[in-house]
Amino acid sequence: MINSLGNLFLYLPILFTFFFYLRSSKLNESQTILAARVIYICSLIPFLLLLIAFATSNFQTLNVLQNSYINDPFIFKVTSAWGSHEGSILLWVFLINLYGLTFSFFHKKNLLNKQLIFISQIFIIYILISSNPFIEVNMDGNTEGLGLNPILQNLLFVIHPPILFLGYLGLIIPFVISSFILTTKQHDEPLFQQMLIWSKISWFFLTVGIVLGSYWAYSELGWGGWWFWDPVENVSLIPWLLNTALVHSLQVSIKNNQLKLWSLNLALYGFIAAVFGTFLVRSNLIVSVHSFATDPLRGLFLIIIIGYLLITTIRMNLKSISLFNKDTFQFISKESFLLINNIFFICAALTVFIGTVYPLFSEMIFQTPVSVGAPYYNFTFNILLAPIIILMAFAPQIKWHNHHSQNQIKLLIIFLTGFVASLISYFIFYNLFFSISVFITAPLFMQSVVVLFAKFKKDFRFYAQWLAHLSIGIFIIAAVSTEQFDTEENLLFKKDSNNELPLNSGGYAYIENIQNIEKLNHVQILLDMKIVEENKTYSLSPSKNIYQPSGQITNEVSVVNNFFSQYYATISQIESDLVSINLVYKPFINLLWMSALMLILGIFGSIIRKI
Amino acid sequence: MKMLKSIYKKIFIIISLLFISSALAENSELTDFYKSIRCLVCDGQNILDSDTEFSVNLKEQIKKKFDSGLSLQEINNELISIYGEEISFKPSDSHFLLWASPFLLLLLIFFLIRKKYF
Amino acid sequence: MDECINAYFRNIWIYYQKNMKKTILVPLLGFVILVICIFYYLNPPTEKKSYQKKIADEIFNTQTFFKTKTIDEKELGEFYIVNFFASWCKPCLAEHPLLMAMKDQGIKIIGINFRDDEENFLSWITENGNPFEYVIRDDGTIAYKMGLIGVPETYFISNNEIINKIQGPLFYEDVEKYL
Repeated sequence: MINSLGNLFLYLPILFTFFFYLRSSKLNESQTILAARVIYICSLIPFLLLLIAFATSNFQTLNVLQNSYINDPFIFKVTSAWGSHEGSILLWVFLINLYGLTFSFFHKKNLLNKQLIFISQIFIIYILISSNPFIEVNMDGNTEGLGLNPILQNLLFVIHPPILFLGYLGLIIPFVISSFILTTKQHDEPLFQQMLIWSKISWFFLTVGIVLGSYWAYSELGWGGWWFWDPVENVSLIPWLLNTALVHSLQVSIKNNQLKLWSLNLALYGFIAAVFGTFLVRSNLIVSVHSFATDPLRGLFLIIIIGYLLITTIRMNLKSISLFNKDTFQFISKESFLLINNIFFICAALTVFIGTVYPLFSEMIFQTPVSVGAPYYNFTFNILLAPIIILMAFAPQIKWHNHHSQNQIKLLIIFLTGFVASLISYFIFYNLFFSISVFITAPLFMQSVVVLFAKFKKDFRFYAQWLAHLSIGIFIIAAVSTEQFDTEENLLFKKDSNNELPLNSGGYAYIENIQNIEKLNHVQILLDMKIVEENKTYSLSPSKNIYQPSGQITNEVSVVNNFFSQYYATISQIESDLVSINLVYKPFINLLWMSALMLILGIFGSIIRKI
Repeated sequence: MKMLKSIYKKIFIIISLLFISSALAENSELTDFYKSIRCLVCDGQNILDSDTEFSVNLKEQIKKKFDSGLSLQEINNELISIYGEEISFKPSDSHFLLWASPFLLLLLIFFLIRKKYF
Repeated sequence: MDECINAYFRNIWIYYQKNMKKTILVPLLGFVILVICIFYYLNPPTEKKSYQKKIADEIFNTQTFFKTKTIDEKELGEFYIVNFFASWCKPCLAEHPLLMAMKDQGIKIIGINFRDDEENFLSWITENGNPFEYVIRDDGTIAYKMGLIGVPETYFISNNEIINKIQGPLFYEDVEKYL
């Protein structure tokens, strides 16, 4: 029943859209909006039906059978809806239409809604052709379900994909506004203002989504890493970078009508990057922890969608270049700083793109597979962004149009202090990377303090921006510390020998006890461990979980806090006569998460703005 | 105009300094070297993070060679000759285009827009 | 609405007439690139190169397990097989019958026990049978030199050069040309 309903509501919107296009010229504005909203609401229904199917463990639906287990906890049953390729594309469609519906309350312009509907219907066609979750299964086989991948059975997983998708798909509205502006040549300020608000919304969700994904990887995957330059992480980073550039560039476009073509293109390519990201994850081209198991045909259709978007973008650009070339700033000004900002962010996005795609390119052209990982990105990406971090210290204080006051001495003092600080840090820690990061972020920290005492009107918006920029500086220091100064050791506890093992840091560790606990859909081997250091005792309880029905074994991480740092333990081996624990010490990792929170707060504050 | 040019010059100097210092600051720690070697039976992890027999064996073998005096670069070359280029997360310098592309792109963009903005 | 669309297409037509080259070339180029991408996407290169061509010398220097001597190259003949296995490896058990069949056909297999516990290894051999002409125990050094990815892995040697390498459990199709 649910299958037929689901399929019905997949075909219905396409039918409605067809008629909508046929008769759109004969409808007045309120009728058009009504028709658009009907299509949006119709397209929302299939995903809700899938949720119901999962909630009721309706194993007659193939997707539910493949991704859910009768004894999974209820919350995970429901959220398995987006645990597979089909389900997540359906969520994709749901969110596009949710955005469309919300958007239709702010914008009655036909052309905008029509393009949004068109894009969303393309994805529904995609689902119908190759990724339909509503396939009927005969009830003669498995009535318990094949289970959700245990790695995904985590609260963070519950919210990470929807939030990330909200971020990706939020870019569709800047996309349609941008193409509207380019095709109808109406570049009035209210449109850019609208684009800014929607860009900030997608920026917010993208940031939260990426941070959640990173935290999930840190707490679930057991290696203490929070960013792996994994292809799937990279494809979420690219839209984020373009979105950041967009939000900054739009300030110029709104305030002074400059950098308009830059803003419009950033909006267009931002959405294309988001769709491309989806394509890469599902296309089987990339090996990653995140990949869905799919067949190449699904990726093919997505290439076609991306091709359409790209060709549209290029055509619109070719038509409009002459119309928007009116940028007139030439002095040191906020406009020129933001122009530099645009350039560097675009380069950074392109770098991440090149690094992600190069292995495929190398395999095709040179016939040698090559791996592009952290060493490459640490060299290129980090160096590219370094000048921006330095400029970020000064940019908010630069005036529009023409920044006359050039206090050279003040600049010199700031840079000298930064240089001295980085020298001192080198003699303390003997780490060149840390010292470089001190040099880069020192101007930012100093300016952040100085500007708090400066006499000018500081509104809510100012503090949101101040917080966001400062958080980046803190993030860099935390990230470099945690990567450069972390320590890892393997503790081998033997059954019959003395159970207190010495740690490199000077303390010691011992195991209190080991328990076997039966849970709803898995058996948990829980290990209670204590670390004693400088008269303080820390408790850790890593575990191994054995899941039904697959028999899959996962490692659960245990962390304990030590102010801004963390101890991080996983069981690497457990036998009848020995236990081997991997103990990692991550300095300042909590500072890293704190800075991420600060950034999110800052972005949120810039959306709210008026309190 | 002149002011803007001086800013761009300063940016260029900063980037060049960072480039040089980064290239010189090769991390000589063994554990950091492990981070640059790929586990070929995993989903993109490095051998430090992986617990598979492949990774553990590789870590032991590399440590043996390192303790016997081989330099990290020599060990890296040996690994590549046995397992192929994909074992290293740091593409070799023969992939010059890959390494240079970000900076070339930067120069390209500045070059393309110079008439309009500078 | 209609006028909007008409104006849109009229603009494109005017633009087209003024800039025929650009309007044709860009979509054409885009189409060609798209076709190339799709072609490569649907026909990915599947040739996996075998990087290591030489066998590890240690095979001939290590004491074998059940026969009290080291392996003599000359005794092996022109063609033989090297198989990595371990008692903790399930697919190794799956391919074991095929290995026994190959031994019956007279193919010489050198078994290399990869990073295993001696007791487990011995009981594995005793329980399942020994398809190997010679067995060596390896702590990982030989595997490393040969470029082992994981057990089970089988190398086909001809004239002391590796001519083929099969990752994973052996199937009949992999071996039939050598029988």
